[in-house]
Amino acid sequence: MTRNFAAWPIILLLTVLSLPLFVMYLFLLVDTFSNTAPGSLLPNEFTLEHWRFLIDPTITGDVWKPTLTTFLFASSMMVIVVSVSATAGYALSRLALPFRRFVLSGIMVMHAFPSVTLIIGVFLVLQFAGLYNSLTGVILVKASLMLPFGIWIMKGFYDAVPWEIEMAGVQDGASRFTVWRRIILPQVKPGLLSLALFAFIDGWSEYMLPRILAPSSDFEVLSMYLNTVSDPNSSTYNFNIFKSVGLFYTLPVLALFVLFQNRLMNIFGGGTKG
Amino acid sequence: MRTSSPYRANLLGLAFMTPAMVLLLGFFFLPVVLTSVFAFTNMSTATGISGGSYVVTGNLLRSLTDEGLDAKTIKALRQSSYIIDQAGLEKARTAGVDAKFITEIGERLKDRSFTSSSAFERELKTLPSRPTRVRDLKIAASAFEQSVLNVRYASRGEMEAALSHMLENPPQGAVEQIATASYTGWTWTTENFKNLVIAPDTWRIVGNTVFYVVLTLAFNVLVGLFLAITTFYLPSAGSGFFSILWLLPRITPVVLYAVMWKWFTWEDGFVFNIAQDLGLPAFNYMKGSVASAWTVVILVNGFVGASFGMILFSGALKAIPVQQLWASEVDGASRWQQIRYIILPHMRWPILFVTSYQTLSLLSSYEQIWLTTNGGPGSTTTVWALEAFKTALNNYTGNLQYGLGAAMALILVAVGLVLSIVYLRLFRFDEMMSKPKIEF
Repeated sequence: MTRNFAAWPIILLLTVLSLPLFVMYLFLLVDTFSNTAPGSLLPNEFTLEHWRFLIDPTITGDVWKPTLTTFLFASSMMVIVVSVSATAGYALSRLALPFRRFVLSGIMVMHAFPSVTLIIGVFLVLQFAGLYNSLTGVILVKASLMLPFGIWIMKGFYDAVPWEIEMAGVQDGASRFTVWRRIILPQVKPGLLSLALFAFIDGWSEYMLPRILAPSSDFEVLSMYLNTVSDPNSSTYNFNIFKSVGLFYTLPVLALFVLFQNRLMNIFGGGTKG
Repeated sequence: MRTSSPYRANLLGLAFMTPAMVLLLGFFFLPVVLTSVFAFTNMSTATGISGGSYVVTGNLLRSLTDEGLDAKTIKALRQSSYIIDQAGLEKARTAGVDAKFITEIGERLKDRSFTSSSAFERELKTLPSRPTRVRDLKIAASAFEQSVLNVRYASRGEMEAALSHMLENPPQGAVEQIATASYTGWTWTTENFKNLVIAPDTWRIVGNTVFYVVLTLAFNVLVGLFLAITTFYLPSAGSGFFSILWLLPRITPVVLYAVMWKWFTWEDGFVFNIAQDLGLPAFNYMKGSVASAWTVVILVNGFVGASFGMILFSGALKAIPVQQLWASEVDGASRWQQIRYIILPHMRWPILFVTSYQTLSLLSSYEQIWLTTNGGPGSTTTVWALEAFKTALNNYTGNLQYGLGAAMALILVAVGLVLSIVYLRLFRFDEMMSKPKIEF
């Protein structure tokens, strides 16, 4: 396209609009490695002291236990979401099920439906099931709330696999299960990977469910840990330290995003889940 | 195509669907049902969740007096009586009372009852093997004490039996009235909805919600559209930088995102320091004034949502046949004319989609508000979803009103259901429904 316009006014406008974001993320990085004199905006010395919380549990409490818990939480939720979506997505995409249309529209409604409004009902379910205040309960809830999205995504990937492949397998005498396991599943590997990544990141970032559904349990995930550290009323309150903790907490997410940007954008765009 | 039995495939379908169905029923369907059921109860921390018991307390007697229960009955309920029965004898035995004394009580006073402790103790003192110490006598006496006051009964029947036992000739219907009032568990009621309609706060919160949704949505759509169009025209290095920057809030975990906004707007934060240097009013912008709190709330949510619009609009922009843009340039169209007459008409459906989708998620979202202003100052930035959540699950007084919260959530659930069905009707629903091509 020709450049029949000047780019700089647009860039200026964009910059002004993006300034809050830019400042926040820039200082998030800079402040963790530097000290700033009180009342001043710009840092005046380089230091690594804000990262000492990694080795010194007296500063903000042990950070590695919540990290491990968060990892367990995110990965078990990921396993549930991926395996259940992989099977249910296939069944809905390819198998002649009774009530298929009904189930499919139900899942679509659930996918569009804002699941946070169910939190009170979920709380009651966990109370009755005796899973309140337990890690298992939170994992099950988190995975279930993500299922409509996962099933929907996987169904999309299965839909894109040509029928001919499946028919050829069936012609050769393989059962539908074998066809799925040996022929179809390798075809949707990109979908499984994207969903797994997305589920892991989502689980890693989750704050509300553990906080509400397991408030007095003995496990703590990193998001709760960070919120405690960054409470203005706490004794260890310090902008630089909570930024270090925050950056530490977010690094895996950022790394995954940078590495798999295209796959994730695919899901952001195709999944269209806010 | 029929190469194996239709049975196996159905079994496979069943096996493949069951885990998903169980989880969805348990954590989607059941919560919806429970929300709608418990919206019609007065369930709270005080009543407990799994049903209650029957207790007559001092407070209850006072409120029963106010309700006009006759004074004689109230007095009788306050008193304790002493009845010599098998249960009392057992209790005395476990309390360590002398066995001979117990046998004597059982033989001589069996089935008698006394209305005061002094009368009972006087009677006990006449027995030959009475204990010498007054304290032992009182222990023995207390084993036979019976009172309904502050005693927990598991069922209504037990409570009524105890009441009938205690009251001689109670007035018509009194036993039933007391038993009903003494129930500590939750009961069915439509009060929640009535109270919601009457309370002036409700309408303020509705106003807040509308204000919040409309402004945030406008920010999301307009900024998203602006970002998509400008990054479309910019050289790819610049547009890449801005797209990544605007995607960051979406990827950043919500706690960290909220904390960064705190740093930005809090006392001694970034804006605070700049304002101080410039001599502008510097205060805690997140909680200091209503206008600044609203600005923060809308920006916090707007910056997250804008990237959603940006991604979708960018995708739609790339789908516009580029020949149309070239042709318009040949005809001498300016950029503005290109945007106005080519790009925006193509954006009609994406804009509608983002608008309806974001309306739904903004109506129900409260995580960011909860973590930043927490609805304050006062309750000026409290929206419906946040209020429902706080009422039911998170408040400082400690009495969580599950029933009222569920009623508030039920309204959101209903709105959410209707809106999601409407927008599924609007967007590409039927094309998703194509039938399987292998018939087993």
